[in-house]
Amino acid sequence: MNCIWIREALNTQRDIFTVTSIILLETSRIKVGIGITSPLVRNISTIARAAATLSQIGRGRFRLGLGVGGLQSLVRLGLDAARPSALMRDAATLLKRIWRGETVTFTSDRFCLSNYYARYKAGFATPIYFGVRGPRLLALAGEIADGVILSGPKRYMKKTVAAVDQGLRRRRRCMKSFRFIVWVPTVIVEKKSDLYLAREAVATVLADTPEAVLEMADIAQERVKPIKAIMAEKGVKRASRLVAEDLLDEVAIYGSPEQVALDLRSLEKYGVDETIFGPPYGREPAKAVREMTEAWKRSI
Amino acid sequence: MEKVDIDFAVGLNAYETVEEIVGKCVEAERLGLDYVWIGDSPPHLYCPSVAAAVASRTKKIRIGLGLLSPLLHTPDQISGSIISLTEAFGDRFEICLGVGDRSQLSRVGVDTKLARVWDHMLKAKRKIARSLSACGVATKIWLGAQGPRMLAASKSFDGVLMNYASPRMIKWAIDKVKPDAQKDFDFGIYAPSYVYRKWRPQAYRLLRIASAVVALGAPTAVLDEFGLGKRLQRAMEEHEAGAKIESVVKRVPSEVVYSFSIYTPSSKLRNYLRELGGLGISHIVFGFPQNLSKVTIRDLANALPNR
Repeated sequence: MNCIWIREALNTQRDIFTVTSIILLETSRIKVGIGITSPLVRNISTIARAAATLSQIGRGRFRLGLGVGGLQSLVRLGLDAARPSALMRDAATLLKRIWRGETVTFTSDRFCLSNYYARYKAGFATPIYFGVRGPRLLALAGEIADGVILSGPKRYMKKTVAAVDQGLRRRRRCMKSFRFIVWVPTVIVEKKSDLYLAREAVATVLADTPEAVLEMADIAQERVKPIKAIMAEKGVKRASRLVAEDLLDEVAIYGSPEQVALDLRSLEKYGVDETIFGPPYGREPAKAVREMTEAWKRSI
Repeated sequence: MEKVDIDFAVGLNAYETVEEIVGKCVEAERLGLDYVWIGDSPPHLYCPSVAAAVASRTKKIRIGLGLLSPLLHTPDQISGSIISLTEAFGDRFEICLGVGDRSQLSRVGVDTKLARVWDHMLKAKRKIARSLSACGVATKIWLGAQGPRMLAASKSFDGVLMNYASPRMIKWAIDKVKPDAQKDFDFGIYAPSYVYRKWRPQAYRLLRIASAVVALGAPTAVLDEFGLGKRLQRAMEEHEAGAKIESVVKRVPSEVVYSFSIYTPSSKLRNYLRELGGLGISHIVFGFPQNLSKVTIRDLANALPNR
């Protein structure tokens, strides 16, 4: 494995930056990323200094995933995700300016910095990966981010490369300097009944998928609307019952460790540089991750 | 020398590299200090992550996080940090909540002019304590306080860290809190400090600046109570007009500086500690610039009793 990505779950009693610093302290070679945190849930100066601290602790092994955030979590917290492009552009630009040691004055409806400068030295470069999905945000990632963390239906992933490429061209950036990372819910299925795990993961992903992404994946809104509604009303278990076979195949990767490794490898044809084995992994997550890792190594 | 029942700490400002901060904390542990406190302010490194780095390289020294401002971090973020740290390194952490450096917070868009800010602190404390308790984590929660209202609010915390050093001011604060405080409530101070064996002009200059910043941010009620308001008037006017701090400091009379800081040759520190011990102080954090180098930390440690 060359990277561990930690996902920020706003409903757990853990702080993502503290947990990530502990992982960096306990490891020596592997890269460790936050995938993702939102500039809506912390002051931008806090994200900047937390990321700089982690980069120092990891001596350059830290990666910052930045995104607007999951639609459901934002609604629950009463946060407004309107105009995500402006939010992400401003956030990434401010982070880079702070890390460069500039004195920053900037005001928008989301950010307010006045003669602010960091007294710490960033020391190590922190790459920013956008965890975004819509075509405009993907193009923006191509313009200003170091890479993108993609998640969603496979047909949609095929089209994202073109969207990102638009942004890269706009800034005359080279595709080689940009990393495509794909996050896929992965489940090792030992018995057919284990499939419920995959269905729950797919229901969660679909409930959070914006309409533009469904459109790019040629998935009719009508098929996802009931899943969203049941998810909001009755929770993931009930919503997962509405996940049809083709949606399951489109969003998750599941099967024996060998099948999973093979399917993950098949994503390379879309131009993917890195694949993240995403949760829920399997009924016994630790064992499933071990098996997947072994199968992945064998598949090389 | 008689035993003094006080915990001693050095406060570190996290603007150096993580490696430098950790190096100083390792030295503080080796020298037998009881605590290190890692500061948190918008222009500095992220305190919980620095605390993790310190905990991973030390064995038993207790680690204070703070002052952490609930105006900048949500209670969930604060409790989440402590739970994560405690799970990884055991019960070695304490936190101090408080408003924080208003001038730095306003630079990052935080509104520090909230009405009834002490209520905000109380609500944050209760929420943090609930979350910690739900995860089986028992962490001492201090409140950083100066003025009468924050002192009153501190009674609902596990202890108060006062931001002044003059025994007269400390006694005044203790008298306000003690009658209603819990039996195991702790009184502590966290003040700019320079305890020296060999006097260094650079450290003294930094002490004056640090102390002036604290004095200029002190509540009017405190300044007026001790007749310091008028003496600080010119400095305040210059400060509010945006003059550079080096120039403002020149307007701050020395007795004001000494009211807010621990400034003494190492040979006289014990008398001061005896006086504070007599007042009921059980925790002293020697703040900036005592942390300037391993040498200044060593000077402090060698001057302390019970080493």
